[in-house]
Amino acid sequence: MTATGSQEPRNRARPAPATRAGIDLAGQIALVARGETAAFDAVFEQIGPSVFGVVKRVIRDPAQSEEVTQEVMLEVWRSASKFDAGRGSATAWVMTLAHRRAVDRVRSVQKEAERERRVAAAEIPFDEVIEAVESSLERERVRRCLGSLTEVQRESVTLAYYRGYTYGQVASLLGVPTGTVKTRMRDALIRLRDCLGVAE
Amino acid sequence: MKLTKQSQIRDAHTLAGAYAMDAVSAPDRERFERHLAGCEECAREIASLREATAMLGTATAAAVPAGLKERIMAAAAMTRQQPPADEPQPVPVRTGTWFRSLAWPGRLTLATAGAAAAAVLAVAVVFGIANSSMQHQIDQAQASSQQIAVVLTAQDAHMMTGTVAGGGTATIVMSHARHALVFTAQGLHALPASRGYELWLIGPAGTRSAGMLPAGRHGMTGPVIASGLRPGDRLALTAEPADGSAHPDTPMMLDLVL
Repeated sequence: MTATGSQEPRNRARPAPATRAGIDLAGQIALVARGETAAFDAVFEQIGPSVFGVVKRVIRDPAQSEEVTQEVMLEVWRSASKFDAGRGSATAWVMTLAHRRAVDRVRSVQKEAERERRVAAAEIPFDEVIEAVESSLERERVRRCLGSLTEVQRESVTLAYYRGYTYGQVASLLGVPTGTVKTRMRDALIRLRDCLGVAE
Repeated sequence: MKLTKQSQIRDAHTLAGAYAMDAVSAPDRERFERHLAGCEECAREIASLREATAMLGTATAAAVPAGLKERIMAAAAMTRQQPPADEPQPVPVRTGTWFRSLAWPGRLTLATAGAAAAAVLAVAVVFGIANSSMQHQIDQAQASSQQIAVVLTAQDAHMMTGTVAGGGTATIVMSHARHALVFTAQGLHALPASRGYELWLIGPAGTRSAGMLPAGRHGMTGPVIASGLRPGDRLALTAEPADGSAHPDTPMMLDLVL
C-alpha cells in the first residue's frame, strides 16, 4: 500500500496484518479465484473466526450471525477474482465485506426508531469490546490502541464499528453535532491506524 | 445554504472515518462512493483506515460454531465464481420467476432483500442456467430444487471430490441424515448421443442406479440429486446406453467411498 496524503508519521517497522498470522491470505485468495477448494478451506481456517466474531459482535443473534458469516464467506468464494492486493490487505478486504454485511443486516432488520430506543438502554462497557478470552498479541495491541484514544473518540468508534450505528445515530446518542462525530471518527481511525502500525 | 465545491470536498473527506466503519446511511454511502471514484487520495485514505478497522474486527475472533464451515464449503462447491474483471465472460445467470419460489430451509434462510438477491443468484448457480426453451428441464429442476437445497444445508452436509477416469472431476455434497447426495462434475468427456453417464450407489443394500446424468453444458454436468443413500454405500459412475442399464455393465469411471 502507498502512503496517504495525511500528515501523520509513517514507516512503523511492523509487518502488514495480512502476513502477520499463519498463512499468506492474499496468496490463498488468488488460489480460491481459480476454484481451489483446499485454498478456500485454508482461508476459512484463517479468517473465519474473525468474520464470525465481528458479525456476531454487530448482530448479536447467533443464528443470524451464522447466516451472515455464510453469506460473507460465499461472497469471498464468488468474488475472489475481484480481490486486488494492490489496494489493501486480504484481511482488510474480507473484514470489510464482513462488517458491511453485518451492518446491512441489522439495519434492514430493525427499524431505526426501535434501534434508537434499544441503544439508549444499552450499556457499552469498554471491557466487553475486547473480550479477555484467547488473549493474543494482536488483541492486546488493539486493546492498547483503543485505550490510547480519547474517551469520546473511543466511544464514537465503538458505537459505530461494534454496534453498527451511523454517525448520525452516534451523534444523537452522545448529544453532539454530527460534524463533530464525523471528525472524531476520522481522527480516531487515523490514530488507531498509526498505533496499530498497519500498512498504509 | 448551497455548499461551495471546496466545502463539499472537505465534507467528503471528513466522512472518510464514518465511511470506513460503515457508519453512514445508504444515501451518504452512495454519495461518498461517487466522490471516491474520482478521488485517488481519498481511496488511499479509506484503504489505510480499513486496515485499522480490520484489526478492530479480527480482535473479536470467536470460535466458529460446529458445522458452519462444512455448510459453507458445501455451498461454495455449488456456487459459480465470478470471472476476473479484465476478462469479462458472459455470466448467463437469469433470475426468472421460478427461482423465487424456492425456499432455503433451516439456517440458510436469508431474510433480507439484499440477501434474497444473493440467494436467487446462489440458486441460479446451483441449477446452472435457466434456458427458457427448456421448460421441462426447469420443471424438473424445480421439483428437485427443494431436495438439493435440503442436502446442501443439512447439518451433516459433507463435500467430497473425485477424479473421473477418462477425464473430469466430480464434486459431491452428501448428507447421511437426508439419505441423499448432490452430484456435479466438471470436464466430463462428452459421450456419443447413444450413451450416457449413469450414477450408482453400491453397498450392503445392493447395487442401485442413482439415475442418468444430464448432458453437460459448458463443461459442467449437474447438479443432480441421488437419493436413497444408505450407510456403507459407495458412489460409482459408468458409461451406459443412453436409456440406462439395470446394472453397471462397463468399467467404473469413479468410485467414491461415501
